[in-house]
Amino acid sequence: MSKEQFTIPIGPQHPALKEPGHFTLTVDGEVVTGASVRLGYAHRGIEKAVESRNWVQDLYLLERICGICSHIHATAYCLGVEKLAGVTAPPRAQAIRVLVAELERIHSHLLWLGVAAHQAGFDTLFMYSWRDRETVMEVLEQLTGNRVNYSANLLGGVKFDVDTRVLETILSGLDFLETRTHHYLDIVSGDRIFLQRTRGIGMMTSEQAERLGVTGPTARASGVRRDIRVDAPYAAYDRYPIQVVVETTGDLEARFIVRLKELLETYHLIRTLLDGLPEGDLKTRMPRRIAAGETISRVEAPRGELFYFIKSDGGDQPARIKVRTPTLSNMASVTQLAVGHQLADMPMLLTGIDPCFSCNDRLTTVQTSGESETWTWEKLRQYGIASYRERG
Amino acid sequence: MKIETMLRDIIQSLFHKPVTELYPAQRQPTPQRLRGKLRWNPEKCTGCCLCVKDCPCSAIELITIDKDNKRFVMRYDAGRCTFCAQCVQNCRFNCLEMSSEDWELAAMDKALFTVTYGREEDVQSLLGCVAPTGDPAGE
Repeated sequence: MSKEQFTIPIGPQHPALKEPGHFTLTVDGEVVTGASVRLGYAHRGIEKAVESRNWVQDLYLLERICGICSHIHATAYCLGVEKLAGVTAPPRAQAIRVLVAELERIHSHLLWLGVAAHQAGFDTLFMYSWRDRETVMEVLEQLTGNRVNYSANLLGGVKFDVDTRVLETILSGLDFLETRTHHYLDIVSGDRIFLQRTRGIGMMTSEQAERLGVTGPTARASGVRRDIRVDAPYAAYDRYPIQVVVETTGDLEARFIVRLKELLETYHLIRTLLDGLPEGDLKTRMPRRIAAGETISRVEAPRGELFYFIKSDGGDQPARIKVRTPTLSNMASVTQLAVGHQLADMPMLLTGIDPCFSCNDRLTTVQTSGESETWTWEKLRQYGIASYRERG
Repeated sequence: MKIETMLRDIIQSLFHKPVTELYPAQRQPTPQRLRGKLRWNPEKCTGCCLCVKDCPCSAIELITIDKDNKRFVMRYDAGRCTFCAQCVQNCRFNCLEMSSEDWELAAMDKALFTVTYGREEDVQSLLGCVAPTGDPAGE
């Protein structure tokens, strides 16, 4: 190890990140020798705020925990509250919940593909994948009226039905997206230049993945067959089973492939669901006061397992709600995997777990001799691109 | 192993119109289910206040003028509204709807977000004794 060792703090404010984190990277030359993470900067007090609102008002507050996977938060909450109240939403409502959740997964994965490509300096892929993402945003807008924060859920059911017009929009959108997803799969697994940034980078074995407790596509890219939709089916997933997509290589390339193959699986699921959409009501009666008790609700968000703990004391407001988002589970992997990698790989490694990194970030390079230089996230991204360009 | 995997996309794009929507110069039709400004029909309202109770952002206020004769005035703050349509779901008499056309609600003055709905004489009697409110759409 050379005499000079640099500590590079990244963060803590990441406006685009659900959970802004502070990463401290120790580097020896170009190689990262240590990394640590500190979370908790985006504490908005939502868990406390829900205790002073009624069960219905909380639905909309919790839906706003995440701007990308908003529906899945509302679904996890609804399923938990319905379980406590002893109410089951009608089968058609459960199927529509799954439909919106899967459309949301398409939108989230395509968004991630663009962000990850942008971090690697592949802006053409970023632009085109986001152009195609508009298709699913428009489908969601036709179905629910909103591009984000769809408000599709109600306690005891859903608000929106699938009529013929919406059905046609969804199916034609899926046909287009399926063609494009095959194309993107070819690109991420075949483009020589892009593979230099992904193949063999951020290797995580299945043992490591198990030990670190990672979830979602990040775990499945390391050969861990774990998906709440299959392991503990909720809503209508027992009627519409999915095939878990697993890759065994465990590098960044595998994380791209898992997410894109998951999209293909999602298209198949939505078609099956729309073919056999059960008839019936969209909602059922919910009591205003929920019986005392506590429950947990687990769902598969686009990024991994989303966990809700809900406790009621029998009133019209919850006594306690605890939320654990998949980013928290996956964050530990970043600090472990960073060691031994080039500094230039850090933007891609962080993006690999899909923590919503995208905007300008604050990054300071602190030199132990006392002189310091401030780097922006954009500068680190450019540094990564230039570093790989030099290596050829 | 290939290079220039996206060259075909780029060349094809040369022969297509830009996908960017030229809003506001060109307006796309709004989706039928778009949730815009809340509208209230006072004729059928019974004053049960279920819409007010479940509003997640306290955007609705129902003011009773004369309970026996079912005369109410609704004050709606579009600036607070999250357009979740829970009030529309709660209303058992279908008094509420969210307009799919009225969605361009930006205003320079906070007071312009507040809309007062109700029978003309009720609104006048209310406005006579409380602070004046405005409505960008000229309700």
